[in-house]
Amino acid sequence: MTALAADAVAKVRQPLGRTQAIGWFVIVVGLFTVFGMGVGTGSAPRSTLTFTPIDVSHGAPWHLGNLTLPTEWTLVLLGAVIVGLGAEVLVRRLVKGAMVRVGLMAIVFLLAVLVWASRQPGPSQVPFINLTAILVGSAAITMILIYGSLSGILCERAGVVNIAIEGQFLGGYLVGEMIDSATNNWLLATVGGVVIGALMGWLLAFLAIRYLSDQIIVGVVIVTMFTGLASYFNSWVLTPYPNLNNGNIASNLAIPGLMKIPIIGPTFFDETGYFYLMMGLVGLVSFGLFRTRWGLRVRAVGEHPQAAASVGISVERTRYINVILGGAVAGVGGVAFAAIQGQFTPSITSGFGYIALAAMIFGRWRPSGAVAACTLFGVSAYLAYNLQSYQVPISTEILLMFPYLITIAVSAGLVGRVRPPAADGIPYSRE
Amino acid sequence: MRLELRGITKKFGSLTANDHIDLVVEPGQIHCLLGENGAGKSTLMNVLFGLLQADEGEILIDGEPVRLANSGDAVRRGIGMVHQHFMLVPVFTVAENVVLGFEPTRSLDRLDYARAREDIRSVSREFGLEVDPDAVVESLPIGLQQRVEIIKALGHDAQLLILDEPTAVLTPQEADALMTIMRSLAASGKSILFISHKLKEVRQVSDVITVIRAGRVIGSVPPSATEGELAAMMVGREVSLVVEKTAAAPAEPVLEVRDLVVRDDRGLAVVDGVSLEVRAGEIVALAGVQGNGQTELVEAITGLRHVESGTVRLAGRDVTNRSPREILDAGLGHIPEDRQRDGVVLSMSVADNMVLNTPRRAPFARRGTRNLRAVRDNAETLVESFDVRTSSVDAPLSSLSGGNQQKVIVARELSRPLEALVASQPTRGLDVGSIEYVHREIVRVRDEGHAVLIVSSELDEVMALGDRVAVMFQGRITGVVDPSTSREDVGLLMTGSVPAESR
Repeated sequence: MTALAADAVAKVRQPLGRTQAIGWFVIVVGLFTVFGMGVGTGSAPRSTLTFTPIDVSHGAPWHLGNLTLPTEWTLVLLGAVIVGLGAEVLVRRLVKGAMVRVGLMAIVFLLAVLVWASRQPGPSQVPFINLTAILVGSAAITMILIYGSLSGILCERAGVVNIAIEGQFLGGYLVGEMIDSATNNWLLATVGGVVIGALMGWLLAFLAIRYLSDQIIVGVVIVTMFTGLASYFNSWVLTPYPNLNNGNIASNLAIPGLMKIPIIGPTFFDETGYFYLMMGLVGLVSFGLFRTRWGLRVRAVGEHPQAAASVGISVERTRYINVILGGAVAGVGGVAFAAIQGQFTPSITSGFGYIALAAMIFGRWRPSGAVAACTLFGVSAYLAYNLQSYQVPISTEILLMFPYLITIAVSAGLVGRVRPPAADGIPYSRE
Repeated sequence: MRLELRGITKKFGSLTANDHIDLVVEPGQIHCLLGENGAGKSTLMNVLFGLLQADEGEILIDGEPVRLANSGDAVRRGIGMVHQHFMLVPVFTVAENVVLGFEPTRSLDRLDYARAREDIRSVSREFGLEVDPDAVVESLPIGLQQRVEIIKALGHDAQLLILDEPTAVLTPQEADALMTIMRSLAASGKSILFISHKLKEVRQVSDVITVIRAGRVIGSVPPSATEGELAAMMVGREVSLVVEKTAAAPAEPVLEVRDLVVRDDRGLAVVDGVSLEVRAGEIVALAGVQGNGQTELVEAITGLRHVESGTVRLAGRDVTNRSPREILDAGLGHIPEDRQRDGVVLSMSVADNMVLNTPRRAPFARRGTRNLRAVRDNAETLVESFDVRTSSVDAPLSSLSGGNQQKVIVARELSRPLEALVASQPTRGLDVGSIEYVHREIVRVRDEGHAVLIVSSELDEVMALGDRVAVMFQGRITGVVDPSTSREDVGLLMTGSVPAESR
């Protein structure tokens, strides 16, 4: 059985000729940007970029003025950049790099859509693009996704698929919101999130490791169960006692000085404590996995558990620890979600756990890659929620599909080459 | 190190895998443990390496009883093991693999790569085992990967090395190199426990040979014992080690492969322009180290893998890229390489497995309804005539031994009208007795005037069975030779070099 699973994994590799299709796809997107959106808008429309932060405290001492661009030429330029990326894939026959180019294409294309949508005169009710506001808004979503991706990385590097991140988010959110509402203390809420996440991680680990259950099924069961449980809690506890769900959000901890840097300041240095914690965790997990003895052992367990066991490493223990750690990280992610979003509702996490998992795959099971993928997905999700105000004739739901489409393309081997840990998702038994 | 096992007994349910095994390995000795598959060798090794706990008996190291609760214990006691399936993480470097579990660290739990490299270099120097510490293991050839395994064991300061079927994956040249390494390790005082079922190499390298059968020690003999004696000890009766066959009488070509190109799952052309012809009444044996395209070639012939270019003809008909169903119906018998995955359905009965490729045909089915009576009768007959040992034809196939499972496949394939037979690794994992049987059946098919293609990585089998021997290396046929060609020359063809002069 394990041999079959290994075969399935081996087949996710990329046939060499396919990079060409990707290169051409990128070029087509570029050409669409040039001719579909750019040429024909005429010379009159202008698009304006502004960098003004919403929060006035970020104003001085540096101030960036507005930047007004001719829409047509800007789009032609951006389209040309995309065409260039596609051409690079074709000419240099990139296999590994194709994924990065597709990511860059997505970012440039999103920017082009913004430029196009905000043109004046045009249908848009918002006469400018506020880049700072976009980044600040995206940073919040990106943070949540990164918590989820890190959780996934911790579990899957040890060989256990944690598809229950969505449920752990929900658990952390619910518990965090309740504790903060009751005590007005986000620190306690965080502890609560760690505990509930770890417990849910333990449940997954217990079923997957002790009973060798199919990890995907167990994960889905945990999500389903917790979704039901959360609804139950909502109707029977939160509704009768609304003061347990008062919807407070955490205040930002701005870093003096740094927060005043244009664009960067409001995005990175005026955030909740959860943002800084996330940045610390990214560094810690990255360092731990690739520099330390602990990381070497974890990766060995995820790649070849028999080999790890043959030198006296306990596969079961390693997996338990990592899945519980991963659960705790996702639990904190849930609390962070509550801290920026406020009131709990049963569908509040709206698939973010799955997008985080997708970002983990797109980021090739590496913290740095996951951060890049989460940023891309975070920005596109933010835009999806906010593009309507620009009167863009695309519905939010379609745009929200974007991360999943990318993930399908990536895991089907259409883009680049992904290679999960060899023993990922395969139950380990000694005989 | 002097290792002594006293009365080791290990039971799995009602099966006694090891039954009061006594064994002594002296310092500097190469001690061979010889036995058939299922004789209990692997169980004994796992007990000795701490992966399993014995129910009874004790292990003494240098006269002192020890308890080995896990493999870490065994390693700390100076026991090193080179597993048959390498215990190496393919995506790690040599250094990372060698230090895994015993990592030198600096502050903050950081790995000390500099020290790891230095440790490897010193082991390399001491025992003459050259390898680049920073090479990624999956990029190394099998022979070097095995060397990494040995370095890993020596790096943990092993005094006793267990080598589990170490030559199974090697070319003859690599195997010779390994023997040299084993001798030099023994000369430097290391003890070696060498597990094998290959009689030739056992006699070549061992100081003492202990034979086990059905979980018991049958006896210890010096390497001067003949192969016939060793085989008789392994099987418990006299066996014929040579395949008896008359000279072939080849007639018209039946299986014709022309300029075949086939890609593997990664998209590489692993069969790269192969042409091969098998005539009626002859056995062509395809030799080669595993992973040189033999598997994909057979899959292409049998319709299990897409043919990129080239043709496959069976009895004059073009069957290139036809479905397996059409190809089987055209008269191709197929004994697959991985019988449990591709040859049988383990959870189904013996009777059902015997009609696995003809379930829709009369008399086994009529108008879409199975005739269970006919299926049963067919199975009863075949079990009888092919001597399949099973409690009943209704027993699930998983209850049969490996040899009997293979007999079920052989019976099924040979009991229908054939033009040609393709058999991949037909005796892999079988005991000497079953090997003898399968070989006789294959020769019988040939003598009935069919074309037979055998694929085997066992050189002995190839030379004994083939009327012509084709050698495959990196997707190409490097030569087609007579089975009387020397093993060395065939070995050279297996590594892609052409023998200086074929006599």
